[in-house]
Amino acid sequence: MKFTPELSFPGGRIKPLHYDDIDQLFRLYQTPEIPGQRPLADKEHLNRMIDYSVQMAATQRGIMWAIEVDGEIEGMVSGFDWQASSLRITMRVDGLPTLTPERRAAALTAAMEFLGSKYHLRNFAYQWIEGQAEVLRTMLTNLGFVRAARLRHAWRTGQDTFVDVEQYHLITDAAKPQPRRLGDDDELGQNLDAGKGADA
Amino acid sequence: MSWNMETERYSVRLPVSDTDGPALLDLLGSSAISAHIPRAAMSTENQADDELRRMAMRFEGREAAFWLIEDKTTQQVIARIGIQYINWMMLNAQLQWELTPACDLAALREVLTPVINYLMNELHLKRLEMRQVHGTDSESLTALGFQFEGTLPAQAEFNGEDIDLDIYSLLAGEFVAD
Repeated sequence: MKFTPELSFPGGRIKPLHYDDIDQLFRLYQTPEIPGQRPLADKEHLNRMIDYSVQMAATQRGIMWAIEVDGEIEGMVSGFDWQASSLRITMRVDGLPTLTPERRAAALTAAMEFLGSKYHLRNFAYQWIEGQAEVLRTMLTNLGFVRAARLRHAWRTGQDTFVDVEQYHLITDAAKPQPRRLGDDDELGQNLDAGKGADA
Repeated sequence: MSWNMETERYSVRLPVSDTDGPALLDLLGSSAISAHIPRAAMSTENQADDELRRMAMRFEGREAAFWLIEDKTTQQVIARIGIQYINWMMLNAQLQWELTPACDLAALREVLTPVINYLMNELHLKRLEMRQVHGTDSESLTALGFQFEGTLPAQAEFNGEDIDLDIYSLLAGEFVAD
């Protein structure tokens, strides 16, 4: 069963991580955007990450897509801290310098729309870490995210150094799903009576 | 290095699974005491025993630690204070408490002084945060040095309502002991 679908957006698509893409993913991990994060040293770690990405999506704990533009991987859009029963998840986008803000936003939107329609998630969080590009904050605001809190020293950048984290939230106006009889549909996470989303 | 501590008036101790069930039920049997989390009140001894087991298992995994605060004079448990969601990479954790009226600000200062000292100086945590239902009184938190950071929307459902949580934090060196 495939839990992470390919989805198109203007100018590109998001797709599940695949072992064939390890070289391109490794290139992405050489330019981490998160303060304090070091370039990935061992390409072998990506094999495990791809394994995890499948397991996490299958168990509704997280989800990861590669962002592909013109056949090249330029970034990743991910969801983590997935709280299925609370209909919420925290999103994140990482990208190469070539990934434009417009495509970054479009990839994030495609991912959120899928998660909303398929899993009924309606509360999307995004953590901007002090030191990240300002354009990310602008993107979040333009997408409708609202800054909810600034978490002091919530991100560790070194042995004794910390930076603040701004937490943004976007709550969609989608109605909450109504529970129906469990077991009538063997598709994971779909025992809820709302519209079926994209194929996965 | 011990997780159990003593102050002048209180024992700050990890619970004992075999014997603390009635005291825990007595403490958590009040809906008011957990309303800020929010959580429903306990109503049976089995629930208290289950909670004691959970506390022990979470402590064994160093995922959480909850202390019972016992008045040395009356032998009454007046509060439960704990940390959970300990992030050893980021050196932070969430603080949680359930307080009876007997655990006033003076008592809180007295018991939190060794607790905060232990968390910050022995475990080297740098940030403690407290989340509570939006609009819950924060006088004690701010008096202890916690700072308001914002309100996280729709973090849980409780009694049919979406629950927003106010978030407060205390960084190493900010605790106001007196």
